[in-house]
Amino acid sequence: MRNIFPLKYKTKRKLNGFLYVLPFIVGFFLCFAIPLFNTVMYSFNKVSVNDTGGMKFDYIGFQNYIDLFQSEVTTGAQPMARLFADQNLSILTNVPLIVIFSLFMALLANLKFKGRGIVRVIFFLPIIFGLDIVINMLAITTGGEWVKESSGLFSQSYISVLLMRYMDIPMSILQPVISYVDKIFDVLSQSGVQTLIYLAGLQSISPSLYEVAKIEGATAYETFWKVTIPTIMHITLFVTIYTVVDMFLKSPISEEAYSFAFEQSKIGTGSALSVVYIFNVLLVLGVVLLVLRKVVKKYEK
Amino acid sequence: MKNKTENASFGLKVYLFRKKWKNVLQSVFLFCIIAGLCFTILYPIVQLVPTIFSNIEDLGNPNVIWLPLEFSITSFRAAIRFCMPEGIMTMIKSILYAGLIMSIQVFFSAMAGYSLARVKFLGHRVVFFLVILVFLVPRQSLLLAQYIYYSHFNAFGLLKLFTAAGEINLINKPITLIMLAVLGFGVQQSLFIFIFSQFFKNIPNELEEAALIDGCGFHKTYFKIMVPNAVPAISTVAVLSFVWNYGDTYLTSYFNKDGPYLSSTLARVFSTANKDFVLNAIKVWFNVPLATDFAFDAVKQAAVLIFLIPLLLVYFGAQKWLVENLENSGLVG
Repeated sequence: MRNIFPLKYKTKRKLNGFLYVLPFIVGFFLCFAIPLFNTVMYSFNKVSVNDTGGMKFDYIGFQNYIDLFQSEVTTGAQPMARLFADQNLSILTNVPLIVIFSLFMALLANLKFKGRGIVRVIFFLPIIFGLDIVINMLAITTGGEWVKESSGLFSQSYISVLLMRYMDIPMSILQPVISYVDKIFDVLSQSGVQTLIYLAGLQSISPSLYEVAKIEGATAYETFWKVTIPTIMHITLFVTIYTVVDMFLKSPISEEAYSFAFEQSKIGTGSALSVVYIFNVLLVLGVVLLVLRKVVKKYEK
Repeated sequence: MKNKTENASFGLKVYLFRKKWKNVLQSVFLFCIIAGLCFTILYPIVQLVPTIFSNIEDLGNPNVIWLPLEFSITSFRAAIRFCMPEGIMTMIKSILYAGLIMSIQVFFSAMAGYSLARVKFLGHRVVFFLVILVFLVPRQSLLLAQYIYYSHFNAFGLLKLFTAAGEINLINKPITLIMLAVLGFGVQQSLFIFIFSQFFKNIPNELEEAALIDGCGFHKTYFKIMVPNAVPAISTVAVLSFVWNYGDTYLTSYFNKDGPYLSSTLARVFSTANKDFVLNAIKVWFNVPLATDFAFDAVKQAAVLIFLIPLLLVYFGAQKWLVENLENSGLVG
């Protein structure tokens, strides 16, 4: 019975391997390729409901895209182009902040001190507190005075008043710094997984490297830049990509697409928005990758 | 001669003294930073105490900063009544759902990851690229087309063989979520496949060769040799998958809106549009005619704390395991 199909070991192995990824390949077509194709198709059509109940398509070329940026506005009554510009700007400023901050947290969590276990537990809590639903539910949505109080803890503190009044730091520098410090919880709540990845990377650096550095007489500062940073550079690449993707996942653009499709029943325009969105994500990732590749190569030499 | 040694020992003393103080200062500085960060993480939770534990009529009192005037758990009772219509069973069902999806995700992602990392079948590079592509394209951008497609699901026209209409409506059925997890499109599943493939890449070849010589077939090698070795990766993925599935409001609220999931129930009950309904219910249930907008926030935040309990339990149970296994989990590879 066993030798009806006498297959070579290698062929058999390849077949079995293919069997293991088969669910993903089927899923790719069912859940990704077909919806992607449909989205692109809808975006070039005026989609409406037929009399018989099915969907009706009228090809209108790029009209949906033109509408999207010329006549449509967001639910907050802003032009669409503005939404994309804001989104990209916030990603470009927040991603470096989150990446550097999570590296900092991981370095702290990797130190040896008493109570390290508890500190690690707290440092990874953002994985849980960073869930969309938790952030939304914790936000105080009513009671205006409280909202004011809880946003901008730092900008209303004595330290920042001191800085603004009595130090000769130009406002153009001070203002962004203060607003970043105010945002610290946002940054923290988005850096849970990144800290986890960095900590794993730091723990996998072989201790002998540090020993060698110590024997050679390197200071802590030199060790950090010459040993730690180069060895975790490729992790930075992964962390950055993960952060960019994660930020796009939480972007308000998806709510707009939802509003077009389900509330205003403009399926065509909503799809056009989705297509622009996908291009936007891939473009940003491409630029980030190009820049980072160069940096990583420089460090790995 | 005597003078010289005295000088030297004095110098040594100064050196030791300085070193000691430098260390002390350094540790104080570090302590401040770490304590500050921990405080910042915990602050949003701590800050809730006066809101959720005070009497609903006292809410909005500007004199209350940290400790409630009158201790009360009415907010919790209201929250339980709102989001757990079946009592504790709602939460248990939600946990079981997250656990089920988690095990499916781990099982199928591990298989796909193993195959992508170790078997050079035709086009394995292409499939690996597709996994990364799926990870990069935001899932919301395909929501609309997915929704329409699933409401007239025909599975490449294959369903014509089984049903008369040739299509079924998959929207609002629990099976949809399970199908997505099996097919590799559950919450963040392409990331999980990526983690597994990175992990299996680092396992030495000799292990597989030895298994082959001992007469193991492909499946036996995988389940008897590879899976037991993959515990670090499995535990990492399992914890992340459980947390993300339990907290997921995206797939649950679009594809199975009426399911017993705590997360999507919370999002629905406490949406801002629902505020008046919630407030009226509080007024009637607990006989507090003076409930203000603050009461809505208080009940909402009590609800999220209840929601967080199982997550925190899982997390505290698994965290040591998580961090210690991480270095071998493939996240680094």
